[in-house]
Amino acid sequence: MTLSSAERARYERQISLSEIGLAGQERLKSARVLVIGAGGLGSPVALYLAAAGVGALGIVDCDRVALSNLHRQVLFESASLGRLKAEAARERLASLNPQIEVIAHALELRSGNVRAVLEPYDVIVDGTDRLSTRYLVNDACVILGKPLVSAAIHRFEGQALTYVPGRGPCYRCLFPEARDGVVASCAEAGVLGVLPGVLGAIQATEAIKLVTGVGEPLTGRLLTYDALEMRFREFSLSRRPDCAVCGEHPSITEPLEAGERCAGEAAQALGGVLRLSPAQLHGLIEGTREPLVLIDVREPDEFGIGRLAGAINIPLAELAGRLEEIPRTLTPVFICRSGRRSLAACAAALSAGIQAPAHLEGGLAAWAMEIDPAFPLDPPGGGAA
Amino acid sequence: MSCVVRIASPLRSYTAGASSVAAEGATLEEVLAHLERRFAGIRFRMIDEQDHIRPHMRLFVNTTEACELSASVHPGDTVHVICALSGG
Repeated sequence: MTLSSAERARYERQISLSEIGLAGQERLKSARVLVIGAGGLGSPVALYLAAAGVGALGIVDCDRVALSNLHRQVLFESASLGRLKAEAARERLASLNPQIEVIAHALELRSGNVRAVLEPYDVIVDGTDRLSTRYLVNDACVILGKPLVSAAIHRFEGQALTYVPGRGPCYRCLFPEARDGVVASCAEAGVLGVLPGVLGAIQATEAIKLVTGVGEPLTGRLLTYDALEMRFREFSLSRRPDCAVCGEHPSITEPLEAGERCAGEAAQALGGVLRLSPAQLHGLIEGTREPLVLIDVREPDEFGIGRLAGAINIPLAELAGRLEEIPRTLTPVFICRSGRRSLAACAAALSAGIQAPAHLEGGLAAWAMEIDPAFPLDPPGGGAA
Repeated sequence: MSCVVRIASPLRSYTAGASSVAAEGATLEEVLAHLERRFAGIRFRMIDEQDHIRPHMRLFVNTTEACELSASVHPGDTVHVICALSGG
């Protein structure tokens, strides 16, 4: 695909790199790259890939822009509040570079659509904020034979890894399984706004290298970044022969959803999970007639900042080993910050034979909004994203 | 024998926020046992009831992955505890 004179002028500084040259820039123009998640990671990825001249850039995100996104999601501005991220991103990227095609996928990736969404693209960049989606995308890329550039962030830390079919381990080789509820999200743990900028720039670099064939991709190596120490580290990884999706005898042959959604659906499918609104829980607590036990499944430091009166703390990761601490004569009400971990706790409780567990829908964040605006979720002077 | 253990960010609630701590032990098992004595509950976040490394955790001795708790740890080594992150 040849470049116009305007394109040659726009990409002059990149074309002048002998490793890229006209041929590399033409490969970028011919390339189709899909960015999953227009969040903290997806923002710099999309901006840099659009600026670099990737010919077709897909953006997957079903969320709308919220005020708490803006400290790190640099694709958006205050005027974007409330808009679909995919649409707002498409406009911003088209404005940045009118010579590329931007495709907005304002949808949630599920097992039913992931093949169709990923199929037209050459390289996939994963910037999702859900582990369940991360595994779905990884599995789909392995099955479809697509290169995948993964990254994830937490507070001041990030990780990056590139999967190239047939050349190294996939994300599931690194972490065979993980559930969203077990690992705190940015909303729950907070995140330094500039952190995804660093990781996103690495992802964009990897995508450009994969498209142009320049350099060595980040395969077989896990790159970690610690912003507080300003230190990168690298760890050797090998493909696992027993990997469930890229191993020698894969048990996953179709991309399926897992993790938090599974936990939630399992809880719903089993029935008997009582979803309490903040007002309903407040009424039950005030009424004092219900034999409840409030179990806060957040981390100890979160619990130390603020708790509901009478609540006990059993972090979700410890729950399976501490279920005997829950009196079977009382109805357990699981609580966390957002309602994600507490729903996973309900699924674990049901699996252990505890009848009719309940959880606070929307978590303590909803409690603070609806019942007690003074309820402390964050340390003084701090604040989650 | 002393080594340094670098703690994954999601587990630092157990170490009062410390990103790295000193530990003793000639094997990963011994190092984790020492950690557990200092920071109750932290081992269970990494190792399940069957003494397997949890599937969302990875342990490295220096830059090499340790798949078994019997992995050797030498004085001056750094044990890295890496956890799957969900944020994007």
